[in-house]
Formats: sequence, structure tokens, C-alpha cells
Amino acid sequence: MLVELTGRPELAAIGPQTPLLHPPVRLDSLAGTLLLRQIRARYGVDVADEDINLDALATLGTLAAFVAARVTPAAGPGVQSGS
Amino acid sequence: MAEPAGPGPVDRVVKCVVWDLDNTLLTGVWLEAAQPPGAEPALLAALAELHGRGVLNSIASRNPAELAATLPGLADWPAPFVSPQYGWGRKSESLRRVARELNVGLEALAFVDDDPYERAEVEQALPDVLVLSPEDVPDALGWPALCPPVVTAEARARAASYAQAQARQQAAREHGRSTSDFLRWCRTELTIAPAAAADLPRLAELAARTHQFNSVRRAVLEPELRGWLASPEHRVSVLRLRDRFGDDGLIGAAIVHTGPRRRPSPEWTVQLLMMSCRAMGRGVIEALLAWLARAAAGQDGTALLVPSRLDDRNVPLRLALVAAGFRAEPSDVDREGRTWFRRGLGGQPPALPEWVTVEAPVPL
Repeated sequence: MLVELTGRPELAAIGPQTPLLHPPVRLDSLAGTLLLRQIRARYGVDVADEDINLDALATLGTLAAFVAARVTPAAGPGVQSGS
Repeated sequence: MAEPAGPGPVDRVVKCVVWDLDNTLLTGVWLEAAQPPGAEPALLAALAELHGRGVLNSIASRNPAELAATLPGLADWPAPFVSPQYGWGRKSESLRRVARELNVGLEALAFVDDDPYERAEVEQALPDVLVLSPEDVPDALGWPALCPPVVTAEARARAASYAQAQARQQAAREHGRSTSDFLRWCRTELTIAPAAAADLPRLAELAARTHQFNSVRRAVLEPELRGWLASPEHRVSVLRLRDRFGDDGLIGAAIVHTGPRRRPSPEWTVQLLMMSCRAMGRGVIEALLAWLARAAAGQDGTALLVPSRLDDRNVPLRLALVAAGFRAEPSDVDREGRTWFRRGLGGQPPALPEWVTVEAPVPL
């Protein structure tokens, strides 16, 4: 998803501990917004609504945990994709 | 039809009118007519009028993409069409693409189509879009949504600016290197300077039009801006942006309460932070926040505060604040509904990219 949003193929290799908003990934506000939109469309989770400081965006690991904790089986991956 | 009720019809600012072609802008059906159709004169005049007001024009047409090449020969179009959409999909999908490509909200679009079915489809799927029949257009030109209160040089150049943005995006895709390398290659120049009285109309326009990078999310009119400009305790700084693709002019501002000049406050409060979405993804907001932190630290400031009225539109601003080290507690909300983001100024000040020129001496 990150590679698609940013056009940066090297992001396919980042680990769950790599910071997203700081170097070397350093998502800017445009890429970050697109990522949050994709998360909402795909998983039905509105990160910005619940997380005032957007701490969920610290790393891929924190983001995955935040989403996983809120996705119910009925609204799992794929169900809302394309919305 | 009357201007529909719905979210913010009074505050609505239409930034782009999306036109149907067959039997709307054109006097016939392109694929069926024996002779190539011409343009509807009354709507041609409306196009020119809208272009002069800084409103963009686009196309949503059920025709093959080849019509794009033929269209310039059918009439002497007074305005360019930005992000034109051709094909047999739903018009609501075309409108979504226009909004995405121009990076504007759906409420910033109007849609004109002669076909009641198409209008109903868009009204039903996208209730935020202002939907008009061709007969509505002469009246609609007098509605507030299509009459920007001030039309600045930046507004008149808007269509050209979107064309430049598309060339820039294309180059970025082909470039494939890091964002900072790309910004250098673009010869990006951001100038931060003290505002002058002549900037006030553009600042009022930015306050009305910006959503994604606007910290207060309310109308700020010229008298209030003039008050800040005259205040000895405030600094109004404006941002101008240009690169090899074009000059975007004045694209942002920061209005900061710094306290008295002789004895600046240790905590600087950004009363209004705003930036045009044209500058999004070009390192501008990051550079502005870095410069503000450096300027405040240079005056022995201990903290920089950005009270922000949060909603689902200005998430991009919040992302920029968080990435720049600002944080807020959920309880830090004032009576105006603003959440106070704070960044301490201890330690090394953030670096400023070399393509930023500061005309204001530091202190601001």
C-alpha cells in the first residue's frame, strides 16, 4: 500500500519497527493522508477520528495493531475495499 | 432549480464546474451528428465569466477519449478544461476523479448536464455536489457559491496553475527519486516574508478556500486580518512558491502572536496557519513549521503553540504538526473548540531546506 501511495519501491522492504513519519521513510502530509484514507476505505477504521496525535502512524507495527484492534470479523479486510 | 439545501450551501465555494458535452456545452451529440456540433453560445459566455472569476472548468462526457483531440477545433473555448473525464462510466465516478485530481472536496464542484437521469444519478450518489441543468446556469452565475468575493491574480491564474501541477506530478512519477531530490530538481523556491497591506485580499481568499491546511476552519475576513497586521504583538508572514513549472504566487500564511517586540513571549501562538492545497506534497508546510520553530527559538522562545479546530478535512495539517514534533492532550481544548498542539523548543532547532528564502530577518 505504501509503495502504491508514494511511488517508492524501496518501502516494500521496511520492517514493523521503522518509523513512518521520520527518516528514512518520512511520509509527508500528502502521503500520510492518502494512507489514512486507504485504511478507512479498506478496513473501516478512522484513525484520525480516534487518535488525536496520530500515534498509530508511528510505525507499520503500531498501525497494524491499531487497525487489528478495531476491525471486527464482519468488517474484515476486503469487505469494504473499493468503497 | 433553487440552490439545494445540504452541507454548507451558504459557505459553499465552487472551485470547479464540470460540464457535460453532448447537448450541454455542444449543440448536438458528437458521435451522432452529421456535422460536428458547435458550442452553445450562452454557455460559452458562462465559461468565460467563470474563468475570469478564477473558477476552473472541467468535463464529464460519455464519449470516447478521442473527443479530447477534436474538442479544441469545435469552438473557440475561452477557458482551458482541467482534468477532463471521458468514457462510459457513471458521471458520479467522473466527478470523484475530478475532485481527486484537483485535490478539492466534492462540495467544491458544480455539475451541469442536460440529461435529468445524469443529474439525478450525481445528486443521489454525491449529495455535496451542486447539480445544475443548462437552464439554471445564467441564474447560478449570480449565486454566492459561484461569486468569489475577491478575485486575486492568483485566482485568475488558477487554471494555468493546475496545468502546471499536472506537469509536475507527471515529472515526479518519471523522476522516481526521493522527494527532496525532486524538489531540488524542480528548482523549488519558497519565500517567507512579512505580509503587506496589498496581500490582505489574497489572505482573505485563502482563509475562505483552504480546508486541508487551515488551523481555524472558519471565515477570516479582511478587517480581522488587518487588525493582526497592525498589531505590534502579532507577526503576519506570507509564503510564496515557485519552481521550474510555474509561479504559484502567495500560497500560505502564518499569523503568530509573539508578544511585545521588546520582550517577546516565551510561548508563541500561531493564531492562523493556512496553506493552499496547490502547495501540498511540496515540502512547504514542513518548511514553514521548521522556520517558525527556529524563529521562536531564536527569540529565546520555549514553546510553539498551534491551536487547531480539528475536523476530518484538516487531517493533513495535523499530520504535518505531528511529524514536526507537536503534540496535544485530548483535554487541551479551549472554548472555541480548538485543540492546542504544542512543541517544545529545547534542543537542536529543526533544519530548514536550502530552497527556502526568508526575507523577514529573524526575529520575524
